[in-house]
Amino acid sequence: MSKPIPLLDKIGEEGRVWNDLREEYGVENPDPPWRVTLESTCEALNEGACVLPSLARRDEEDDLVNELYSHIPHPERQLLALAHSMIIRGIMTEEDLAHHIKVVEKRLNAA
Amino acid sequence: MSNSDNHDHDHTAAPMVEEISDFEVLEVAVRELCIEKGIFTQDDHNQWTEYMHTLGPLPAGRLVAKAWLDDDYKQLCIDDPVKASLEVGVDWVNSMPSKFGTPSDYCNPRILVDEPKVKHVVVCTLCSCYPRPILGQSPEWYRTPNYRRRMVRWPRQVLSEFGLQLPEDVEIRVADSNQKTRYVVMPTRPEGTDGWSEDQLAEIVTRDCLIGVAMPRADRKVDDKRHVHKAIHPYGH
Repeated sequence: MSKPIPLLDKIGEEGRVWNDLREEYGVENPDPPWRVTLESTCEALNEGACVLPSLARRDEEDDLVNELYSHIPHPERQLLALAHSMIIRGIMTEEDLAHHIKVVEKRLNAA
Repeated sequence: MSNSDNHDHDHTAAPMVEEISDFEVLEVAVRELCIEKGIFTQDDHNQWTEYMHTLGPLPAGRLVAKAWLDDDYKQLCIDDPVKASLEVGVDWVNSMPSKFGTPSDYCNPRILVDEPKVKHVVVCTLCSCYPRPILGQSPEWYRTPNYRRRMVRWPRQVLSEFGLQLPEDVEIRVADSNQKTRYVVMPTRPEGTDGWSEDQLAEIVTRDCLIGVAMPRADRKVDDKRHVHKAIHPYGH
């Protein structure tokens, strides 16, 4: 059984998923703009150094979605599962990620 | 183009999502941390993203349309799908950003040719292997355990859930993709398309037909307007 990661749980609970956003704003695109860059990150992690091989990542994604993120739609849950896999493999720490999220949030929301 | 032409079109801005979600922030943060840790570079990532943006189901639709019109090309699709793909602009070996072919997968594409009494359908029971160079990103449902587990066990039932009811005398062959081998279905040419050009035929070969969960129809184009039929017994009435 996978152990929840509080940071990711919070994003899963409080984050607004693309389906809700596009409905509110009347946008037709079925995928969030970050879907392609997420896929590229997955490819780049598989590529070269094989930090996170695709097959292992997808296996873990299935388990994590089943156990922790089943209530969250795709591709949001793919993203949570990717971050989760990276943390449990020590590629980054929860603290690393929490810190960087604050940095990114401040930058993207700068007026 | 004259200056006046520039002002002919409607300037009303399409609606945009005007807020940044926590998920968007998370995606950027994960990506930037990878770059910061030296796992990949921004340039590596850009190359993948640009490549992803070029992918879609159109080349596979074109391949099927060509094969419907040309028996020699159809045979090439069966014998050497990599070579046949080149004719529709897809290079399985050299066009990936990795520049050494592909990251172990994709290089063995196979075209499964339907017959009147044989229907193929593609799945990846293990994860979500998909012929992306020629079909683009896999649809969400293709990744679900529901589809992956049930298609191999009860294909007729699952296909009927997609609205594809096959007669009992049609054999269903389920092809299970893996890291090396990626399948594309070449459906049978539908009735009502005699005399059609390659362009016309390519327009009716939708993504779902190429996965095998739908059959092409003369009256259903890839870019058709999405119809919503009114409910017969609407809720609350």
